[in-house]
Amino acid sequence: MERDYLILTNNPLVVRCLEKWYDIAYEDVGYRDVLVKARDLVYLGHTLYTHPLSGSVKPNETPYKSVVVSKVPHTFSPEQAEIMSNAVMAFDKFTPRNRVLTDKLREDFQLIDYTLLCGGIDFDAVAGLSMLQQP
Amino acid sequence: MKLELGFIEISDIQFSKECKVENGTLFVNPDEVKAFVFQDDDVKACLKDACFDIAKPGESVRITPVKDVIEPRVKVEGPGGEFPGVIAKVDTVGSGKTHVLRGMAVVTAGKIVGFQEGIIDMSGPGAEYTPFSKLLNLVMVCEPVDGLKQHEYEHAVRIAGLRAATFVGELGRNVEPNETKVFETYGIKEGMQKYPDLPRVAYVHMLQSQGLLHDTYVYGVDAKRTLTTIINPTETMDGAIISGNCVSACDKNTTYHHQNNPVVADLFEQHGKSLLYVCNIITNENVYLADKQRSSDWTAKLCRLLDLDGVIVSQEGFGNPDTDLIMNTKKIELQGVKTTIITDEYAGQDGKSQSLADADPLADAVVTGGNANEVIILPKMDKVIGMLDYVDKIAGGHAGSLRPDGTIEAELQVITGATNEMGFNRLSAR
Repeated sequence: MERDYLILTNNPLVVRCLEKWYDIAYEDVGYRDVLVKARDLVYLGHTLYTHPLSGSVKPNETPYKSVVVSKVPHTFSPEQAEIMSNAVMAFDKFTPRNRVLTDKLREDFQLIDYTLLCGGIDFDAVAGLSMLQQP
Repeated sequence: MKLELGFIEISDIQFSKECKVENGTLFVNPDEVKAFVFQDDDVKACLKDACFDIAKPGESVRITPVKDVIEPRVKVEGPGGEFPGVIAKVDTVGSGKTHVLRGMAVVTAGKIVGFQEGIIDMSGPGAEYTPFSKLLNLVMVCEPVDGLKQHEYEHAVRIAGLRAATFVGELGRNVEPNETKVFETYGIKEGMQKYPDLPRVAYVHMLQSQGLLHDTYVYGVDAKRTLTTIINPTETMDGAIISGNCVSACDKNTTYHHQNNPVVADLFEQHGKSLLYVCNIITNENVYLADKQRSSDWTAKLCRLLDLDGVIVSQEGFGNPDTDLIMNTKKIELQGVKTTIITDEYAGQDGKSQSLADADPLADAVVTGGNANEVIILPKMDKVIGMLDYVDKIAGGHAGSLRPDGTIEAELQVITGATNEMGFNRLSAR
């Protein structure tokens, strides 16, 4: 059966590791923008497959977020719509920080978001990384 | 299942040529501990070095970035051994007799990812927020080989910490305990016959299981891959559940928390008096929504099957787990079983925002472990065990967190165990 997953993300590592296998809507936007995009699709009836606040890295620490929704609308779910609107509200209560992120730190945050996503879609995160390292 | 814990009070730790516990003092040779730790192939392959230090309550010492805290224990009678499925063989634990080196811990430190691992201050205002400032800590700082991936580093430090704790625990094998306590739970029918009039209560213990670097292991099995199931509370006292996660420090359930779970302790305290403590139900906190549905359905089903009257539910982490917490609570209540939940709060620095990322009217009995967004200033310490170069990047820290004078301004999130969601801390609210 064809996978019904559409990965919404602003994490370049997700694209590099998963683009061969999954439909990915990548945009170079902020964490909140990814949440809003997911929320709007869920409002339109797309199924939410992974929790928008996955990981205990707080929304104002990591710039990266990936959320999986269905490729096409199915049946509107009020529970899932509530999860999404709560996630946006949860994001807004964290105090913004104007932190300078080093490349190493960006890599760590990308890795965390990627591994959490893999846990959600049952993809072998380590295998994905190993394939990346091959020439 | 019946377990006897023999507590050996440790009142001092000293480095020494010989390894032994004598008159309450742990004498330890760091080279011997290291040799035992490095017998493991994964540790050998992943770690360049491990350095040991001792931190005592009241000292001007800061330990960071903390990975895990582990209490040394040793099985002296009965089946199995400590940390089954990981260090000891996978035999079922939780019965027989176990010796506990009380008043001390093995603390592992290492910068696995550039954030999240926490701070333990041994004195000053920060010390008030972490239970581990009251312990004698044998700290092991683990240095990775060059080019090691974060998840390999986490695995190696996890195993290294458990091995160090196993080595130290073994030193208590032939020591006469200062105090002995017996913990016993009964079979379903046996418990009902023994205490027919007491309410039947269980503990729904939610395990962090969101993915690589966010995991918990039960008898060596990644909790992400498990169905909701039943475990005897005494099994957790023998290290059946271990921490493998890097969630923010304040509400990380370390291995020490699992070994000394305060919900288990308090339920045993009331067991046979005001309630009948039936069992623990362990369930996960996966990212995939269908997993959440399956796991919470099973939690509610088991509560009904066990004919429970009430449960206590604890979670680990923030955001995603809030949804599991509410799904569990709602479904259990709908089975006619009363719930009380334990959580912490992310209510903003002013404490005025919605505390959880999810809610339901049926979740109307809540105990809080405090507001993790609360801002705190930590004074400079004379000595740092580990490294401070990541302080401004750990959860709750921010740019400028580490000031030029050595003080740290950050949210409570940075402190290991500050808002623990098992209630193993001193913060709460009425």
